[in-house]
Amino acid sequence: MTSPLLAVQDLEVWFDLPHGDTLHAVRRVSFSVERGERFGLVGESGCGKTTTILALMGLLPPTATVSGRVLLEGEDILEDGETSVRPHRWTDISMIFQGAMNALNPVQTVGAQIVEAMELHGIAEGADAKSQAGQLLEMVGIAPDRLDRYPHEFSGGMRQRAAIAMALACEPKVLLADEPTTALDVMVQAQILLLLERLSQELGLTVILVTHDLPVVAEVCGRAAVMYGGEIAEVGPVDTLYHDSRHPYTRLLFAAVPDPTGEEEVVSIPGAPPRLDRPIVGCPFQPRCDRAFEPCPTEQPRLIALGADHQAACHLNDPAFRAVS
Amino acid sequence: MRGADYVIKRTIFAVVTVFVALTINFIIFRAAPGSAVSNLARVPGATHALRAELEHEFGLDKPKLQQYFIYLGQLAHGNLGVSFASQQPVSHELLQALGNTIPMVLLGTLFAIGFGTFTGILAAYRRGTAVDKASVSTGLFFYSLPTQWLGLMLLLIFAGTLPSGGRVDAFLFNPTPLQHILDVLKHMLLPSLTLGLVLYGEYTLITRSAMLETLGEDYILTARAKGLSDRRIVTRHAFRNAMLPITTLIALSLGYIVAGSILIERVFSWPGIGQAVYYSVQNRDYPMLQGAFLLLTLSVVFFNYVADLLYFKLDPRIRE
Ligand SMILES: Nc1ncnc2c1ncn2[C@@H]1O[C@H](COP(=O)(O)OP(=O)(O)O)[C@@H](O)[C@H]1O
Ligand SMILES: [Mg+2]
Repeated sequence: MTSPLLAVQDLEVWFDLPHGDTLHAVRRVSFSVERGERFGLVGESGCGKTTTILALMGLLPPTATVSGRVLLEGEDILEDGETSVRPHRWTDISMIFQGAMNALNPVQTVGAQIVEAMELHGIAEGADAKSQAGQLLEMVGIAPDRLDRYPHEFSGGMRQRAAIAMALACEPKVLLADEPTTALDVMVQAQILLLLERLSQELGLTVILVTHDLPVVAEVCGRAAVMYGGEIAEVGPVDTLYHDSRHPYTRLLFAAVPDPTGEEEVVSIPGAPPRLDRPIVGCPFQPRCDRAFEPCPTEQPRLIALGADHQAACHLNDPAFRAVS
Repeated sequence: MRGADYVIKRTIFAVVTVFVALTINFIIFRAAPGSAVSNLARVPGATHALRAELEHEFGLDKPKLQQYFIYLGQLAHGNLGVSFASQQPVSHELLQALGNTIPMVLLGTLFAIGFGTFTGILAAYRRGTAVDKASVSTGLFFYSLPTQWLGLMLLLIFAGTLPSGGRVDAFLFNPTPLQHILDVLKHMLLPSLTLGLVLYGEYTLITRSAMLETLGEDYILTARAKGLSDRRIVTRHAFRNAMLPITTLIALSLGYIVAGSILIERVFSWPGIGQAVYYSVQNRDYPMLQGAFLLLTLSVVFFNYVADLLYFKLDPRIRE
């Protein structure tokens, strides 16, 4: 059996807060992603999505403590901290950010920033690197003669395209996209998503798409993990999550999605996510859950396998408790 | 081209500023209470006739507007007038004072720029560590000290080891050029250090905050994700952006170099522009004051102009 391209095992992240408090932002997160796959990471704002993917690249600030393993083709890239993870940055795993408004350095040309990555990792040098950068721009739908332009001369959508071109500069295996369309208007959002989908198909690129927007994931991704309160609530193929969800949060999240015809009202989930700076007893979703029962306030649910590729962390799926209820 | 537009606009702005400043210069000293002739130390108990004669000699009996045009006309010929107090050409007096001031202030300013930006960058880069805390408290300490007090304290501490005032040792007869330079340097050390320390506080604090701001930007995270080393991130990406506010500060303090520092030059009896201005105020020496302020205006406007042009070079967003 071959190992998956990227496997995250028992990832935990704590942030030191002022006054000696700690915030447990990511809790026992595990998932794995295959080559060429588009994997979604969904959840409300503050549930730990960004923290999770920054941890994958070892990019969290010094106030963060990380434990767990991130296996890239079987190799634990976080094992020796900065030393073991840096060689993999951009060459194996690259990244694009929310809206890309500030993801590019305002005082350098777009071309220089793409070339910088190539030269750093020995992909290409000088004029050769520049012509390759031009090809990358072309691939994302920007005229190559715009290499010498500065980021402020680009529109929001073009900046995100340029950021994608830069992310592809070293032919990475995995692209982490953190809310790549959030700050953009709807038309541009759709174009960027299409672009990501196309690139993933054409290049066999693995994309991990982080978003709070479930329809986006449903449209682009094959599999997804739903995060809640720093944990994975449910993970599986998007179809399964939609038609056969086994976690009340996933179900409510799909229900919260506005009707595409725009006629029906948005159903939002009442209540607020749990605070992560204090211990959580029982199920984190229990206070907002419409199906909570006896074990929920006290017992912590674990991810339970519900099929070959489907897991959920909910007591409703646990035969031990189902017998009681 | 937009660049030419920008340069022309900045140039016109600089010229207009100079002209406005010239006019204010002229008005402000004449609006001040007291008159040149009543306060001249050289003519104690002067008779009315003598005062009138002096007023006539200095041209102070003419209508103000006429004085103004005479002033502008003379300026256009590079003539700054004659000092009321010393009867020497103002330009000559100013040049001499300037020659004394510039090396002293420049030394202090360069110390502040070099040392201040360095510790500022270091503090931002090592944010929250002991290095950062030490650098910030040192910066705040020197920034908040009154200049003259710091000068006096340095005098108290170093008075035995270093000369306590003046520019040269009066008892050093027929020094060789090298001896002379060393002598001046020795005298310069304390006033330069005083100025340098006060400016240092400003530089290190501003550099740190500018660096912290840029280090928190998304493109820094991008740069780290690209696999760049910390050193390269700081120099290539963060400092290049943090340079923008720092450039303004540098231009401003370079602009003020010709002003010298009245406080420091008084404390250390340094015969520079600051001292000259101090005596001229006491003597109501309008031509000297006008000359000194003209010099200051030109220098401040010039360095601001240079900063504007540098900005244009450093920040592509301005070229819009
Ligand atoms: N640098 C940090 N220091 C302290 N807390 C942080 C930091 N970054 C994120 N957090 C906290 O971690 C939790 C998860 O944040 P984040 O990963 O940004 O969520 P998401 O991307 O899903 O919106 C939040 O409660 C947030 O306040
Ligand atoms: Mg986020």
